[in-house]
Amino acid sequence: MTHIAIDPITRIEGHLRIEAEVDSGQVTDAWSSSTMFRGIEIILQNRDPRDAWLFAQRI
Amino acid sequence: MSIEGERANPIDGGDNVAVADENPRTASTAHRMLDMPAELARRGISRRDFLKYCTMMAATLALPTDQISRIAHALEAVQRPAAIYLEFQDCAGCTEAFLRASHPSVSQIILDKISLNYQETIMAAAGTQAEAAAQDTIAAGNYLLMVEGSISTKDQGVYCCVAGRSALDLLAEAAKNASAIVAVGSCAAFGNIPAAYPNPTGAVGVSSLVSHVPIVNMSGCPVNAVNLAAIVTYYVTYRSLPQLDQLGRPLFAYGTRIHDACERRAHFDAGQYVEHWGDEGHREGWCLYKMGCKGPATFHNCPAVRYNERTSWPVLAGHGCIGCSQPKFWDQMTPFYERLPDVKGFGVEFNVDRIAEILAAVSVFAVAAHAVGSVVRRRSKPESPPPVDENPKAEENTEMDENQEEPK
Repeated sequence: MTHIAIDPITRIEGHLRIEAEVDSGQVTDAWSSSTMFRGIEIILQNRDPRDAWLFAQRI
Repeated sequence: MSIEGERANPIDGGDNVAVADENPRTASTAHRMLDMPAELARRGISRRDFLKYCTMMAATLALPTDQISRIAHALEAVQRPAAIYLEFQDCAGCTEAFLRASHPSVSQIILDKISLNYQETIMAAAGTQAEAAAQDTIAAGNYLLMVEGSISTKDQGVYCCVAGRSALDLLAEAAKNASAIVAVGSCAAFGNIPAAYPNPTGAVGVSSLVSHVPIVNMSGCPVNAVNLAAIVTYYVTYRSLPQLDQLGRPLFAYGTRIHDACERRAHFDAGQYVEHWGDEGHREGWCLYKMGCKGPATFHNCPAVRYNERTSWPVLAGHGCIGCSQPKFWDQMTPFYERLPDVKGFGVEFNVDRIAEILAAVSVFAVAAHAVGSVVRRRSKPESPPPVDENPKAEENTEMDENQEEPK
């Protein structure tokens, strides 16, 4: 049983970490983590609704 | 990208583990050696295309024509400067804007001219191999550091981590040996959307954290690919940064107010405004100021350079400028569809000359007076000419009151 962590996962947009348990060449369990948070949902609160798309398209 | 020969770069799918075993300085230097004309030809970029690119760069940088050959010469040099491109609190929109340009793209040429040893979105290596590529470059020193995205400072920077380390930590390390830093896009430059109220993660731009290395802020949301290519070309050619404004932005790209170079400016001057989306004025391409255009408060070369290979830009497409190259535009330029007087503050770089220009504009264009006059009053107490007042009656009343008081 080996525990591996691949961080960063490249060739994607965003930050991703994958951890996996490997047993005899077979992945037996895996976890993914998104390692970046900006709080766009919090920032959007109490804004003019007409502006929402400009914020949300930058997620 | 598949590369033969000596160029074993992790971006191109080379085996960077083998590189890590060698002396990093020798290894990274070896990577930078290649036959540039042959390399360009192999990628289908002709000599003519290359020189056209050099001319475009000289034009964008507002350099005299004799500098075209100098740029070409510098770009053909076999010694390629190393670069690291870090992504923090970003949406990868700047990366996309840069990479999606068409053929022969500015990004292709730039990616050939620098030894880009780390770029998460396009590199083949992942995990520890990717980090090793960055570590080797940092150890060798004298590289160009490009940063996209803001840096979270709240709670020890836990809101943005790569390879188990915070962006704060990674930036401090990568900035240490860098010869210059390019803050790519408004997030890296000023904090941008992650730093918008209430800034949940304590996001800041690079220049809030790094002071010992020259930094150039290439703001814009996203950055303009041509401007980014131009700054890298400038750095490769002159090994320095061009003249910057008070916000650390190069004057070649941020020295002109959008409103002053706008193709719809004639309609503003003529008092022809879009009043409603889809009305006659909108169909005719009239001024978008009343629809909330922030061009009068924004400094960027969008009207000249545009986006997507000079295809278009928001105002040409019929939507007002949102002021994306200005600091804190998410808070100071919103609501985006309200006209400028509702904006809490103009950009901070208004100098005396610009205020004078605005004053001149105010005296000529009464329509703009209520927009700009209030700002001018707030910014300065000009000697002459005074801004057109929104409420002349109020002032008259005051004078009358004073006059009345004097006899007493």
